[in-house]
Amino acid sequence: MKRSFLDYILRNRLPVTIFVALSAFALTYFASRAERDGVGYTPNQPIAYSHKLHAGEMQIDCQYCHIGVEKSRYAVVPPVATCMNCHTVARKDKPEIVKLTDYYNKNRALLWKRIHKVPDYAYFSHSVHVNKNIECESCHGEIKQMEKVGQMQSFTMGSCLNCHRNAHDKMPYFKVDEINNGPDYCWACHR
Amino acid sequence: MSDIKKTSSQNPDPHYWQSFEELYNSKEFIELNQNEFKEGVSENIDAGGMSALSRRKFLALLGASAAIAGTSCTDYRDKGEIVPYNKKPEEILPGRPNYYASTCMQCENACGILVRTREGRPIKLDGNLDHPVSKGKICAQGQASIMGLYDPDRLKNPKKKLDTRLIDINWKTADEEIYFELINSGGSEIAIITNKIVSPTTKEVLDQFIEIYPSAKVYSYEPINNEVRNSAWEKCYGDGEYPAIKWNEAKVILSLDSDFLGSSNNKIETARLYAEGRDVMNKNFSRLYTVEGNLSVTGMNSDYRFRLRPDLQMNFILALTSELNKRGAGISLDTFGMDLKNFADENALKLETIDHLVNDLISNKGKAILHAGDHLPEDVHVAINTINHALGNDVLYNNKYVMNSVQPLRTFEEIQLLTSRMKNGDVAVAIHINTNPVYDLPGDFGYTEALKSVGSAISFVEVENETSSVSNYVLPINNQLESWGDAKTRSGFYSMQQPVISPLYDTRQTESILLTWMDGDPAFYNDKVYHSFLIKNWEQKIYPSLNHKLDFNRFWNGALHDGIVITNEKGKGIGSFNVNVAQNIKTPNSVDGFSLQLKESYAVRDGRFANNGWLQELPHPVSKIVWDNYAAISPTSANELGLNSNDLIEVTNGNSSLKIPVMIQPGAADDTITIELGYGRTNGGTVGTGIGFNSFSLFTSKSGLTPFLYSGVNVKKNGGTYKLVTSQTIYAFNEGITKDLPEKRKIIQEGTVNQYSKDPSFIKHENHYSDLTVYPPIEYKGVKWGMAIDMNKCLGCGECVVACNVENNIPVVGKEQVDEGRDMHWLRVDRYYTGAPEEPKVSNQVLICQHCDNAPCENVCPVVATTHSPDGLNQMVYNRCVGTRYCSNNCPYKVRRFNYFNYRDYFKDGYQESPVFALLQNPEVTVRSRGVMEKCTFCVQRISDARAEATKENRELKGSDVKTACQEACGTNAIQFGDINNEKEEFHKYRNHELGYYVLEEINIKPNVTYIARLRNTHSEES
Repeated sequence: MKRSFLDYILRNRLPVTIFVALSAFALTYFASRAERDGVGYTPNQPIAYSHKLHAGEMQIDCQYCHIGVEKSRYAVVPPVATCMNCHTVARKDKPEIVKLTDYYNKNRALLWKRIHKVPDYAYFSHSVHVNKNIECESCHGEIKQMEKVGQMQSFTMGSCLNCHRNAHDKMPYFKVDEINNGPDYCWACHR
Repeated sequence: MSDIKKTSSQNPDPHYWQSFEELYNSKEFIELNQNEFKEGVSENIDAGGMSALSRRKFLALLGASAAIAGTSCTDYRDKGEIVPYNKKPEEILPGRPNYYASTCMQCENACGILVRTREGRPIKLDGNLDHPVSKGKICAQGQASIMGLYDPDRLKNPKKKLDTRLIDINWKTADEEIYFELINSGGSEIAIITNKIVSPTTKEVLDQFIEIYPSAKVYSYEPINNEVRNSAWEKCYGDGEYPAIKWNEAKVILSLDSDFLGSSNNKIETARLYAEGRDVMNKNFSRLYTVEGNLSVTGMNSDYRFRLRPDLQMNFILALTSELNKRGAGISLDTFGMDLKNFADENALKLETIDHLVNDLISNKGKAILHAGDHLPEDVHVAINTINHALGNDVLYNNKYVMNSVQPLRTFEEIQLLTSRMKNGDVAVAIHINTNPVYDLPGDFGYTEALKSVGSAISFVEVENETSSVSNYVLPINNQLESWGDAKTRSGFYSMQQPVISPLYDTRQTESILLTWMDGDPAFYNDKVYHSFLIKNWEQKIYPSLNHKLDFNRFWNGALHDGIVITNEKGKGIGSFNVNVAQNIKTPNSVDGFSLQLKESYAVRDGRFANNGWLQELPHPVSKIVWDNYAAISPTSANELGLNSNDLIEVTNGNSSLKIPVMIQPGAADDTITIELGYGRTNGGTVGTGIGFNSFSLFTSKSGLTPFLYSGVNVKKNGGTYKLVTSQTIYAFNEGITKDLPEKRKIIQEGTVNQYSKDPSFIKHENHYSDLTVYPPIEYKGVKWGMAIDMNKCLGCGECVVACNVENNIPVVGKEQVDEGRDMHWLRVDRYYTGAPEEPKVSNQVLICQHCDNAPCENVCPVVATTHSPDGLNQMVYNRCVGTRYCSNNCPYKVRRFNYFNYRDYFKDGYQESPVFALLQNPEVTVRSRGVMEKCTFCVQRISDARAEATKENRELKGSDVKTACQEACGTNAIQFGDINNEKEEFHKYRNHELGYYVLEEINIKPNVTYIARLRNTHSEES
């Protein structure tokens, strides 16, 4: 039987095309996964604030600035005034602090780049997690060693559930009776 | 509907019925209701009115963006910015609400409120528990009034009339020009027309204004008021105002056309006390008799109800008096030879029931109260006061918190004198302080004409109205949530008002404007003018009289914190009764033609809430009609005139007439027309303009028994129809096996008090259902949520509906959409009639998602968008929902609502899409968009919040930690919510009450809303 052009297309071209397309998709999908989830996102901030210096070396408590973590859904990015508690005196000649002071004095809004984001239909609550003694680092990574903060974990629903369903694996610092798995029903987060 | 002519008062076929169509088995009706969704509910969607993005374009864009994403996936997505405060206000923590105590100034009752704010913007009003009168409750209007703050129609800057247009001016110009007018008034009158003044400090401002401008006079009026009752009281008791009544202590209540549970003044306190007197937990039941012309909320809740045209009330009372006197009541009232038996015969009142009434009144001396409607003539009130006095019922008057008006209202005669002075050119300046006399004064006053002869007419308004459109200056004032103030309505306490947000627009507070004009220099104004005046007035005038232990500053901060200042002022007791006053009662006239009564609207009151979509869409508690008023007429009278519902009639009262559609109201008295006021606004804002019919045009100053009640009114068929829309009948089924559903399926279960005392578990006797199920039993550990609704306390008023709307971001959909069956209310109050259409009994039932354990909606969702949570909630996940509507189809309660549109941009050209409207939304609740199903969540946001709080305090979550919005709002505490598994909670008593039942229990879906059967307190065992 003579092979027709159609046969050629069906037997050779098509499988090859599909293979190429699929493998390209699969490759891109896995290669870009971190980026899609935002893992590794480390934007430049308007003020080059160092968590390594403040939280790490100087051991300032997280809650000195992020006052909402125990009380509210939001951790709260501190108002400029919080920085000025120290920086009206400390290091006030450094260029970044001069910038900061300018924001404060002119009462300008300081636009920090958002790094961690859950969609607005997910009602994540910091207070519940922090009050259960889950460490900040479990989601945010080793903040105390970051000169510039970046996203360390994925913040998809899958990642949330991964922890909610395997609490002890994911947070080995808890003893057996110290924590249970988190809720995994819809209205725990969505409403 | 032509079948109506077959009206029969014998045993009607369906025992429970919701509309005439259902009662007479109209063919179209049956067809219409075979289906879950109304025919055409998913059609008739105007693509032109929607967003310009078509499906094809959307897909093209999707493809293009995927392509772009593919080529540019080399960098992270930008996630926007976080903008912290520069200097954070101390009290604000993002994500946590703050509560401020204030006072609701929407009407003269001045109830205490708690304002919930988030990040500085108010999002919900609730009652202040410390308020001695309102005790933590506010009415539907109060709850919905938050929409007024964010109303896109609000006036944003001062305006001045130039020729016929209004042009924008600034405050400086306005102040200067008006000040010039004021000082040059040359002794001509400066009239200040205001609503009832409840604030002592506002009165102080006005008093000082009069000192500076001696020709100024203050006219405070309310278009709908209880002045007739008060003037009768003054005649009987020398002075004072009609007191509050201890309804909870009354054993027998006779309401004479008084809608004390529905719309009359002071309704919040009245309804609460009444419900306390009907407590199934204490087995304590009062008995309510109602004699009324139209079916009202009070009538729906009465144990015995008579129909009587309201202009015959005087005759009825005299006849009743003569009978009471025969039994030795000794009422010194000339009864003009009236006889109760004859009267009952003439007016088809059931003699047996009349006997019960007389017996009850005689045997409950001192424990009964007679109460007459605001709209009845003075003689009726005098007679009522006389009877109450003679029977010793005056012990039920409340002596503790005595009514105490800061300034009494002006009478209509005084307002009429003002208009004639205006016409003579004796008035130089007329200042309307958020009043609307052009709309709501009797037409024959000729107020609009009179205003033309006034040198300068000024209107202070939030939203432009009929009066502002004929004013020379229109000045924007602050909303109540942007204002300072105080209020005094009764002896013994003050209520404080504080702003919770700074003015959204270039508006000023009324008192500040007046203070600036008193000074004369526009530069005098700053936003603290009235604040400092208020503090000074309290420090110098009120605080010293309180003998308070704290110094003033601490006292003041405490007062603002609590919202209430309790004083040890003693109310002046009730004076002695003047027996002679009853001798002036005139012989009752014979009646002819139709009797016309004009009543306050249950939704928009006197029209001041016309621009509030939530209220316009709140179904009428009795007729369930939305977005309209109508003439209610009895089935018999309609038959005589050849009328069907929706037919237009012409009502002629003296010189004025009105064309209005009729609604055949089961239970209305024959030859009586009842019309609600407050509709037909011609300049009522985007929402309120042109809604309904202006029955103020029938309001005349003469010829009426009172301004609200007329006799000898002419009614004739006008030809033509007008579609009235009801939210009710769309849920009905009535053929074959579904006929008589409410009774056969035990949706409504009722009994009598006698039945209950004989056999407390009479409801349960009949309920033996098999527990057979194919599902494995699920054990609910920990908290499991449930609700109980005490139908003995539910009045059917609809406050819960509005509370739910505000809490859960429910959109307004408009009249046409409600007609299509697309209303979005998560909570509805079903109303059922039983018995003959002329004399029906009424049952109300609040229906929400029942959160069934074996929820039928969950099985049919193809995308698992609705599932069950371990705490017993039926969850709805908007992101998963693809809009198949199977769940709604399979829900036996019909409580799921589907978003056919994105109503926020559909209604009236995106009125609700206005950016300022977004501020109204509760940030804890998702704003749903087109194509998803939604339903009651048991306020899951509050549950989550309570759970977070419990975690914070390291304790277990308790059922009593959560109060749902409807529960908080219910004026009679009919709604209880809590943990089913916790036997120690108060809720447990309701959940397991012997009168409790579940709706459609027999289909074994295990609903979690317990209904506590209503008991009627009749003399027999049958209801």
